[in-house]
Parts: sequence; structure tokens; C-alpha cells
Amino acid sequence: MMNFRNATRISGVVATGAIAALLITGCSRGEEGDGGTGGEASPGITDTTLSLGISSPLSGPTAGPGSCTVAGLYTYLEAGNAAGGFEFGDGNTRTVELTYLDDVYDPAKAVANFRQMVDDEIFAYVGALGTPTNAAILPIANEEEVPQVLLVTGATMFSSDQDANPWTMGLLPTYFDEGRAFGELLVERGEVTVAILAQNDDYGDDYVAGFEAAIEGSDVEVVASATYEPSDPTLDSQVTELAASGADALLSAVSVTPLQVGVLTKAQSLGWLPEIFLPSNTSTPATVVVPGNGAAYPAVYSTSLSKVPVSPAFAEDEDVIAYNEAFAEYGAGIAATYTPHCAWSYAEGAILEQAFAGMTEPTRASFMEALRSIEDFQAPLLLDGITVNTTDPTLPAIQGLNLVQFNGTGYGPVTAG
Amino acid sequence: MNNTLAKLAANTWVRIGFAVVVAVVLVVLPLVSSKYVNYQLSLIAVFGVAILGLNIVMGYAGQVSLGQSAFLGLGAYIAAYGVVEGWPIPLIFVLCAVVPAIVGLLVALAAARLRGLALAMVTIALPIIGIPLAKRLREFTGGSQGTTVSWLRAPEWSGLDHDQWRYYVVVAIAVLMFLLARNIVTGRIGRAFRVVKENESVAIAMGVSPYKYKVLAFTIASLFGGVAGFLYLGIVQYTSPETLSFHTSINMVAAMVIGGSASILGTIIGAIYFVFVPNLANQVNPQLTALVSGAVLLAVLFLVPGGIVSLPRRITQAIRAVRRRAGGSPPETPQSPSDRVPAPATTRPKSTEKKNEGKRQGQ
Repeated sequence: MMNFRNATRISGVVATGAIAALLITGCSRGEEGDGGTGGEASPGITDTTLSLGISSPLSGPTAGPGSCTVAGLYTYLEAGNAAGGFEFGDGNTRTVELTYLDDVYDPAKAVANFRQMVDDEIFAYVGALGTPTNAAILPIANEEEVPQVLLVTGATMFSSDQDANPWTMGLLPTYFDEGRAFGELLVERGEVTVAILAQNDDYGDDYVAGFEAAIEGSDVEVVASATYEPSDPTLDSQVTELAASGADALLSAVSVTPLQVGVLTKAQSLGWLPEIFLPSNTSTPATVVVPGNGAAYPAVYSTSLSKVPVSPAFAEDEDVIAYNEAFAEYGAGIAATYTPHCAWSYAEGAILEQAFAGMTEPTRASFMEALRSIEDFQAPLLLDGITVNTTDPTLPAIQGLNLVQFNGTGYGPVTAG
Repeated sequence: MNNTLAKLAANTWVRIGFAVVVAVVLVVLPLVSSKYVNYQLSLIAVFGVAILGLNIVMGYAGQVSLGQSAFLGLGAYIAAYGVVEGWPIPLIFVLCAVVPAIVGLLVALAAARLRGLALAMVTIALPIIGIPLAKRLREFTGGSQGTTVSWLRAPEWSGLDHDQWRYYVVVAIAVLMFLLARNIVTGRIGRAFRVVKENESVAIAMGVSPYKYKVLAFTIASLFGGVAGFLYLGIVQYTSPETLSFHTSINMVAAMVIGGSASILGTIIGAIYFVFVPNLANQVNPQLTALVSGAVLLAVLFLVPGGIVSLPRRITQAIRAVRRRAGGSPPETPQSPSDRVPAPATTRPKSTEKKNEGKRQGQ
């Protein structure tokens, strides 16, 4: 009798929980099997509107770049809507709505957000920031045939096999490309010795792999290398070890801003003044190069692909003027501080516009086809010479990188050597 | 009115009817819900199991643990590795339960000698060590890009969609884990936990070794964490170092306290809170999710410090207070059966129940 009572009691507990769950999630009845129903219009598109979705970290440690991925894109789309909407290849003009949600860089939340937006009938999922979050969504997007495109991440996995994942595509050049760009610069110089400092994970590996691919068979020689953990408090011992090699150049693939500053100050305090290469995400003059007294080195290089709207060097640029004006109106409420992601996602809006113009049918398949046939498109805010090419199914949308050199206040064209 | 409700709740037939209704709802729900709703419901089951483990070690045994996400992540990684290697699923499940339990046991053997803050520090270390370790052991974990898997697909004969099948598997396992937990906390071990939580000297005097039971509580919590990791991989189909994130641990502790410490029903409420509040915050304003979540947390803790599970009792108390002030009917005797309604799961031995109730009110 006791057991029986207990059993019913526990069922009561389960019951309450279940009913609460029901109430909370809302007893919405979803349609049976959505996705690409051939011929008919895909979900999320009408003759006058199109809805897009993005889930990025808008709170937590990655909130800065995450907010910018939303703000830049939102700015471009809203400015386009205000100007009358976007022209589509099927002859219609549509306004484009962007739904954005916060995932705190948590893959489980990102999947929840993605599923929610697909339920709410977004046409495509665009421009989301984050490697783990996008990796979790990738198989679902491809199973449900929802475009998951122009992702803001430097990982190779989103673009390297688009035959296997036909609904996924990255936006940015990969870390591999950055490492390779620096390697190519050194190869032109001839005999050079290099020291490498890299993060002990795939991020660092990609850099080093790209660099090594570029210098293979050349006179460039790696004479010392060291790794670190992002949680290390200081890299002084690694720098000291590398300094002993007296290498001519240092590839400092350090992704943590304070640690990168530490590398710059430590090396010069040891009297070691190699040419320095900084990855694009820890090369900001104000936070890294100036505090680290980068001017002491013969040259500090980095890579760049976009104009910097906040820099006086670009103040007269037409793209920058248009961006600054639109951003103040639409984007400033979403992202308070500028990171390059704002510019990238603004350019991403223009890439989407190109794809819309190529869409002959209101379907996701037609969108993907149009998106995959963009050639030599000069998107706004991208540096001259960096174009968008989406036809290679193993590469992200933007492949080019410009090597830039620190000139005392900001970055300019490479001058030395 | 409360009396009638209580009588109604005590009626066996009403309870059975209620249970049947719930069972039917749980079974039918995924058939009529969208994939998104099924995913959310499944996530509630997943984190319900993880928070349940946390509740056993923190709520019932009174030992601070801030490392539950490490066991969740460990379970998920074991499952991912097993799936990639093509091991049979029952074997994967057993490993997901046993390996984290052993790790938890080994950590606890050393850590359970400590108390209070020192113990909390040791448990914090687990996710902090776990994340770089997961990034470094790339052959097993896939590094910081994580591991994507495709498994627990609906078999042909079931005629179900994958999300429905996964929901059933996960909810079935979660229900079993809840029954297991309930048996643990209402039995001899549960009583020992409570004494250890209350006063270790008293426990020793009663012949209960606090050290042994603390280690046991940690081991059980780790086992639940590992099983939750298995379920996590079943639902999310992906794991990365982010799964171990310390942030997740803290959020689970918050969810447990909000739901109701030392309560099975509270655990379920906590899991719903854990999954639901980020969504709610996103609906309110995606730019202010942290603020909205924080506001909800504060509001709950101010209004119902004993967790949401104590809400019916708070309401009853409030109603009585109002009646008393109005000078209406004389106050009911505090021993009335309605006292038992809010926490049905923890009411087996009368003496401990009373003590427990008092304790919770004090929190």
C-alpha cells in the first residue's frame, strides 16, 4: 500500500512538471515537416517580404563581436528597406526583416534559437558568430535544408566541404589564410628565420598550418616555436625561450589581447626586435600595438580586409560615410562599441543583396544557387582588391586578405622589404 | 477551500487519474508539437537530470558543488566518442554513467575532506581544468570545434520523426533517473544525507560517517551529470568545450535554488526555469537577456526564497494571514494536512519532514 501511494505521489510530481512544461512552451502545433517543398515558395518569403534570422552572443564574454554581427547586418538591411526595399531576381521588391536572438555562445541555446526561428518561418539563417554554436547547427540546417550562410567565423569547417553541406557557407577568410599570407610575405624576402608562438588548440594550429604551407620548400626557416594556453597569466617564459633563437621574425598567433601586449613588451625588454606578425583579432592599434610599444620593432604586420569606419584615414571614404550615417540610425542601439565584425556584417548585407538579385524563384534552393554564383563583387567597406567570390565550393565567400603594416598610429600598406 | 484541495490531492483515485493524464500528455505531446517545442521539452529533461544530481549533493546532502557542468561535459564527450567509434548504444550509456561516477568518486575522496568554501573551490576547478583539457585532447574531443554526431535516429518501424524519437528516449531515461533519485532521497541514504547536512557531529553520534556519505553524494551527482551528458548529446547532437562551461554550472545551481532545494518537484521546476528563462529573455529583448534573467532570478528569490516549489505554501500562509487579520474564521491548526501538499516528494518519515520544512522556510 505504501509503495502504491508513493508511486502515485511521484506520478503527481511528474504530472505537475509536465503540465507546467506544457503551459510554458505553449501548446503550439507545428506543421508536419517543413523545409524545401519544391516548386512552391519556401517558408519565410512572400511577394513583399522576406525574413532572415541570426543567433549570436549578445551577452556574456563574446557579446562585443556578437552584437556587431547583428548590428552591421541590421543596419544594411534597414537602410535598404528605408530606401524602398530590395530588388529580387523574380521581379518583386521585398522588404527584408531580421530576427535576432541571443545565444550567449552556448551551442544548446543556439540550436534552440535556430529551431525556434525555423518554426517561426525564417527563410534563411545568416551571419551568425561563433564556431561551436554554428557547428551545432550545421547538421540540422543541412537536414532541414535551411540556408545557414555567411557565417562570421574563421574556422575552415563551414566552407571546406560545401558538397557535403550544401546549405552552409562561411563569410570570412580562415585563420589558415592569415598564416599563409604572412608566410608568403616572408618567402619573397628569401632567407629568414622565424619563431612561432601559437595557442595550443585548433585556432593556433590553423595559423601554423597556413604559415607552414606557404614557406614549404623556401628559404624561410622556423628556428623556434612555443605554445601557450589562453588561461596562462603571462607568456614571458615562452617569449624568453623564443628570444634565445634570435629569429628575424615572430609569428605571434596569440588571440588574447592582454597576452599579446605582454609579448610585445617582453620581447623588446629582452633586446629582441624581430619583425612581428599579429593575427587580425589581436592587432588593434589602440588596445594592442600602442600599449605594447609596437613602434620599437622594425615592422609590425597584420592582415585586414575591411575599412575601419572609426579611423580618420577613411573618414572621406564614400562607403564609410554611408555606413556611419546608417549605423548611427539603426545599429548603434544594438552594438555600443565598434569591432571589425560590424563592418564585416555590413558587407555581408551587400552580399545578400547580390544573392537576392540573382534569385529567380522564391525558394531556398534558388537563393543558394544565386548565392553561390557571385563573382568579383566589391562589397562596401571591403578594402580595394578584396572581392567576394562564392563559386568555389571549398572556400568562404571572402578569400582575399590584405597584409598591412603598422605606421605609428594605424595600419597602412606594406612598405618595408 | 485549501482543505478540500488537500483532501482531493490525498485521494488515491484522484492521484492515479492525475498521473494517467500526465503520462498521456507526456506521450502525446511530442506528436502534436513542433520540432522546436520537442527540442525544448527534451532539453528540460536533459538538464532536469543534471540539476537532479546537483540537488542530491547540494540540496539533500548540503555540499556545495559548482562543477556539475564538468560531468555533463564528460558524459557528452564519452557519448560522442562512443558514437563516432560505433559502439553499441547501451554500452555508451553505461560508460556515460560509470566513468563520470568514478571520476566524481576519485575527486570526492580527496575533496570531501574539505568543507564549505574550500570544497566549493575544488569543485570550481573541475570545469576550469576540463575546458583546456578538452581542447588539448583533440583526438578524443575534436578540439575547440567540438564533435558533431548523428545518432539516436528514429528507427523505420516507429514511424516517428527523429525529434519525437529522441524525446521519447530522453524522457524515458529521465523519468527512470527521477524515480531512482526519489528512492535514494526517501530511503536510508537520503535520511543520512539530511543528517550530514544538518549537523556532522550529530551524524557521527548517530553512527553515520559524514565523509562516506559526502563521497557518496558526490558520486551520485557525478553519475547523474554523466547520464545528463549522454542525453545532451542525444538531443543537441554536438558537444564542445562550451558544454563544460563554468557558466552552465552556475546557472544550474541558480535553477536548482529557484526550483526548490531538496525537492524532486523543485528540480523539475528548476529545469523548466533553466531552459525557459533564456527564451523568455530573448522574447522580451535579445539585447538585454542577461539583465532580464537577472531580474527574474532576483524577483523569484525575493518573493519565494524557498524556491518556486514552496509557492503554494506561501500562498496558503498569505491567505491565512489575511483571514486572521480580517478576524474571520479562527486560524487552522498548523498540523492540518494541507501542510503536506507543497512538498509531496519529501514526506516519508514524519520527523525528518518537519525538520526539513522548518529548514527550508529559514533559507
